[in-house]
Amino acid sequence: MNLTIYFMDSFFFLVILAGAIAGASTGLLGAYVVGMRMPFIGICISHSAMVGTIYSILLGVNPVWGPIIFSAISSMSLGMVRPGRSRIDANVALAIFFNLMLGLAFLGIGLMHGSRSEVLGLLWGSLLFVRKSSVAVITISGLVFVVFAVLFNKELKVLLFSRTIASATGVHDSFVYCFFLALCGLILAVNLPLVGGLMIFSLITCPAAAAYQICTGHRSVIVAATFFGMASAVIGFLVSYYLDLPTGACIVIVSATIFAVSAIYRALRCKGD
Amino acid sequence: MMGGRISLSNVEVRLNGRSILDVKDMQIRQGEFVGIIGTNGAGKTTLLKVCCGLIKPTRGTVKLDGRDLAGLNAWRKANVRKHIGYIPQAAEYNAELPFTLRELVAMGRTSVKALLRPLKKEDYEIVDNWIDRLALSDRRSQTFRSLSGGEQQKALIARAMAQDPEILMLDEPCSNLDFNWKYQITEIIEQLHSESKITILMVSHETSLLPPGCKRAILLHEGGILADGYIEDVLEPKSLEKAYQCRMDILKLAGRRYTVNKS
Repeated sequence: MNLTIYFMDSFFFLVILAGAIAGASTGLLGAYVVGMRMPFIGICISHSAMVGTIYSILLGVNPVWGPIIFSAISSMSLGMVRPGRSRIDANVALAIFFNLMLGLAFLGIGLMHGSRSEVLGLLWGSLLFVRKSSVAVITISGLVFVVFAVLFNKELKVLLFSRTIASATGVHDSFVYCFFLALCGLILAVNLPLVGGLMIFSLITCPAAAAYQICTGHRSVIVAATFFGMASAVIGFLVSYYLDLPTGACIVIVSATIFAVSAIYRALRCKGD
Repeated sequence: MMGGRISLSNVEVRLNGRSILDVKDMQIRQGEFVGIIGTNGAGKTTLLKVCCGLIKPTRGTVKLDGRDLAGLNAWRKANVRKHIGYIPQAAEYNAELPFTLRELVAMGRTSVKALLRPLKKEDYEIVDNWIDRLALSDRRSQTFRSLSGGEQQKALIARAMAQDPEILMLDEPCSNLDFNWKYQITEIIEQLHSESKITILMVSHETSLLPPGCKRAILLHEGGILADGYIEDVLEPKSLEKAYQCRMDILKLAGRRYTVNKS
């Protein structure tokens, strides 16, 4: 097979590009989400975006705004869950929230008449049916997040290290955190139709966790997580394409493999010290 | 005029229907070094968190340099707290993140600079100066997680000092440290106080951790203030016995007070 022919093929190129951008932006987002020790928030928001899409289809409204509005509302309400403030553990609260979203999603699917393939695609994503317009949307939302991360870099670092310190020492933590959650919602909502609710979770956690294993310094974590996210999506897609396997499954396995390799690398390096 | 005054009046914090802190009146003057002593669960950390606005009291007023914290919105509250250096207990920060020591100390400059303003060369000069002053120069580019417990504590102190604070609040800064580090850390805190004349609030459950420079102690017992005043008058056997519920003696050695169980 001649690779150049495939690259000339605009469909192939578009899928690779979409995968790379989706992987990079969720990987970048993951670096913050994992660093704040709340990877569950990713799966909660992405599933509420899914609920938003399902009910927009059900009600016959434009399925672009439904998920964005839904995930924005849910990320804001998740922002209210502050560890140590409420009587229940934050992760337990997130788990309950996730179950509620799953319940609403399946309720919506049950109420639906006719073809459900569009909705089921939300679970696994449909990278292969990507359109140019959606690539543009995920690129813009990814860039918005990059701009945010650059502008509020110093505040985000303190938030990552300790919300208690951030809050006690007068960093504008609530403002930056809410802004962050809103963008979280945006990124997850726009990437959901491409990568799906299940895969987006692995793209948030694995590349970031791998980066935290092997990097020294905040900036290198951010860059590595973005790169690992991109690599997971692109390599996963190529593997699935050439071996004729399900795309989503391959991307998940590649991202987990990247994590495993970096964990082994760190273990070996620490042994050598 | 330099700030650093705290005033609490009729403050009560209730949690799950139970009162966990009840302070009628507490005034901290600018430049004081105050040790907050008490048993586990006496309300020491709660008191500290109320003072910096991390915990909102159920009733009562908390004033920081004369400004009532309850009357401020999140934005203004953040501005008021810019000059609080805060060192929490280990459970409240993520030591596993691969921040380098220099990055961590530089976090102290975050609230000093306005939003959207990146740190400049002069900020890093202040950061490096504090790293040098706390003798951490050869650890500068190491990760925080690779430092020893005592060095991590020094790094957190450097972070707080880089903020140019008017009040320094420390929550059990010596827990989990061996005795030599305990001594070193408290010496550093005392030195910072005598050099910079900032207000210091230090929570500890051991009286021996209060260095000679600490002239005032507040003894907490079951959420209330049992004694408050000159350290010599507060840390005397009678009130300590009441707080710790055991018979004890106090040994004074090199300006520090060691408690010994009598029974």
